[in-house]
Amino acid sequence: MPDLAAPGERIVAPATSEDDVLRVEHVGKRFGATIALRDISMHLRKGEVLGLLGDNGAGKSTLIKILAGFQKQDTGSLWVKGDAYNPRSVEEARSRGIDTVFQDLALINELAVYQNLFLRREKVRSPIPFLSNAIMRRQARAALDEIGINIPSIDVPVARLSGGQRQAIAVARTISGDADIILLDEPLAAMGAKEGAMILDLIARLKDEGNVSIIMILHNYVHVLAACDRVNLIQDGFIGLDKPTAETSVEELTEIVVEEYRRARLEAQAEAQAQAGNGAASPPTASAPAASSAPPPESPAPGAS
Amino acid sequence: MAVTPDTTTEASAPPPKGPEKRWGQGGALSFGQRFLTLREGSIVIVTVVAIVYFAASTSRFATGSSFKSLLPYFAPFAIMAAGEVFVMINGEIDLSVGAVYLFTPVVFYKFTTAGLPLIPSMILALVVATLIGMLNGLAVAVIGISSFVATLGTLFTLEGLSLIISHATQVTTPGTSVTSVGTFAQIFGGGTYSELIWAAVIAIILQVVLSFTRFGVYTVAVGGNRLGASEAGINTKLVLTRNFMMCALLAGFVGILEAVRANTITPDPSVTGDILFQAISAAVIGGTLLTGGSGTVIGAFIGAIFLGVIRDGLNIKGVSANYFYFYLGLAVLIAMTANTYVSRVRTGSGRA
Repeated sequence: MPDLAAPGERIVAPATSEDDVLRVEHVGKRFGATIALRDISMHLRKGEVLGLLGDNGAGKSTLIKILAGFQKQDTGSLWVKGDAYNPRSVEEARSRGIDTVFQDLALINELAVYQNLFLRREKVRSPIPFLSNAIMRRQARAALDEIGINIPSIDVPVARLSGGQRQAIAVARTISGDADIILLDEPLAAMGAKEGAMILDLIARLKDEGNVSIIMILHNYVHVLAACDRVNLIQDGFIGLDKPTAETSVEELTEIVVEEYRRARLEAQAEAQAQAGNGAASPPTASAPAASSAPPPESPAPGAS
Repeated sequence: MAVTPDTTTEASAPPPKGPEKRWGQGGALSFGQRFLTLREGSIVIVTVVAIVYFAASTSRFATGSSFKSLLPYFAPFAIMAAGEVFVMINGEIDLSVGAVYLFTPVVFYKFTTAGLPLIPSMILALVVATLIGMLNGLAVAVIGISSFVATLGTLFTLEGLSLIISHATQVTTPGTSVTSVGTFAQIFGGGTYSELIWAAVIAIILQVVLSFTRFGVYTVAVGGNRLGASEAGINTKLVLTRNFMMCALLAGFVGILEAVRANTITPDPSVTGDILFQAISAAVIGGTLLTGGSGTVIGAFIGAIFLGVIRDGLNIKGVSANYFYFYLGLAVLIAMTANTYVSRVRTGSGRA
C-alpha cells in the first residue's frame, strides 16, 4: 500500500501504559478491495473510558467487532491483560472478560425482555437442563431496576419496545454480565435525551467503581467530553488523535472533522480535474499522487455526518 | 454495581415489584383476545368447528371406527410437522422430508437383507436419515445455499436413489406379515394406536424442548435474528444443522412407521410431494411462520388433526376426495391470514 500523502499526525507506534487491560498493535483489516483498518494501535487502561471517534465508515465498528471476537483481523496482534488475545468467537471473547453491545443490538424481537437479557447466559435447572424462567425473570427485573431502566414488563417481546428501551436492554445485558472490558458501539444512537442521560449516568457509575474498562463509540462530542477519559480518533484507517478529554474540546474535535472534509473535497476536485484534463489519454505522472492520496473507498461523501 | 447474579443478596433483599403489567391481563374480553392471539387459538377453534360440523352432519363421524380411520391421516403428518416446525422457526424450510420418508424404509430393508436384525437395521436406517439431514444443514448453514434449493436437490437425489437401490420394486416390510402383527410391528406403526402414541409423545417432548430448553430459545433466536444471535454468541450453524438433522430423523422414522403399517415398502416418488406439503401445511395451519422466529409443535399437532378431520369427514360424507385439496388450500390461506394478524398483535409491530 503506498503511503498516503495526506497530512496530519498518525499514531502508528503502540502507545502503552503500565496498567493496560487491552492493547491493539498494528491491526489491519480489509474486506476484498476495501480497506477498513490500515494500521491501528491503541490501548485501554484499567478503569478507563475510552471514546472512539471517526467518520462514518472509518472502521470504528470493524475495530469493535474484531475486539469482540466477531471478526478476525488480517494483520496485527491483540493483548488482554498482558496475554495474547486471538478470540475465535464472541463466546471466547466473553470468557476473557470482554463483552460487547453491538450497533444492531443483537436483540431477538420474538423473545421476551428477560430472555434477551439472559441470551446465551440462561439459568438452567439440574440435572435436566430446563430453563429456570422464574429465576431469570426475578434477576432480570432486579437488574433493570438497579440500572433504572423503565421497562413496563419483562415478559413482552422486545419488538414491542421503543428504540431507546431496546438499546437500554442491550446495554443492561452487557453490563450485568461479568465482563470487565465492555465495548459499546453507539450506545446512545436510538435514544432520546432522557434515556441517553441515564446510560451516561450508568457509565459514570461504572467508572467510579473502577472495575470495568470501557471503549465506547460515540458521535456527539459533548457526550464524549462528558463521559470519556480519553479519546481516540480513527482517520483513514489509522488512529489520528489520542488525547485525554481534559486536553481537548468540542471545538478541536469539530475542527479535525471539518479539516477532514475540506481535504476530502479538495482531493475529489483534484481528481476530477485530473480526469477531465487527461481524457482517455495515458495519465501523466502528476495524477498519480492525487489518486493515491484520495480517501479510502469506504469514506463517505462529505456531508454525511 | 455490575449486576452479577448474586443469590445471597437476592434472597435477603427481594427485588422491588415493579409496575409489572402483563400484556392483555384483566377481564373476559382480554382473555378472549389472549386466546385468539395464542398462535394455536384460531386453529383450535377451526378444528372444533370442523369436528362439530361433521359430527352433526353424519352419524358415522363421531364413532370409534371413524377415529381409527382418521389416525393414519393425521399421526404421520403430526410427527413430520414437529420436525419441520423447528426448521421453519429457523426461517428455513426442508423440502426433502417426503423423499427421506421414501428413502429410509428402502435403506431399512437393505440392512435387513444384509443380515442385520430388525432393530439395528432400523437404527442404522435412521442414522442414515439423520446424516441426510446433516448434509442439508451443512449445505444451508456452512455453504450458505438457500434451504429451498438445497433440500430440493436432496429431494430429487433421494427419490432417484430410492428407485435405484430398490430397483423400483415393492417389497414386504421386514418384521411385518399380513396375517399377524408381531411385537416389532405393534410398536413401530403396526398397532392401531402406535402412530398416535408416537405422535403424541414426540410432540410433547419437542414442545418441551422448544419452550423450556436453551436449544428452543436458540432456535427462536436464530430464526428471529440470525446476525444478532451470532453476535450474542449463539453458534447459529450448529443450531441450524441440528434442526435439519432432527427434521430428517423424524421424516425417516415416519417412513418406517408407515411402511410397517402398510406391510409394504413402495418406492413410489409420486407420494413424496403430497406428504411433504401436508407436513408443511400442518405446521403452517398450526401457526408456524415461514419467515422464522415463530411457531409451536403443539400448533402443528393440532394442524395435523385438522387435516385428518377434514379428510376423514369428507370420506365419511362420501364427498369426492378432490374436495380435500380444495379445503386444504382454503385452510392454509385462512390460517396464514390469521397467523399473520396474530403475530402482529403479539409483537405489537407493524411487521409480521
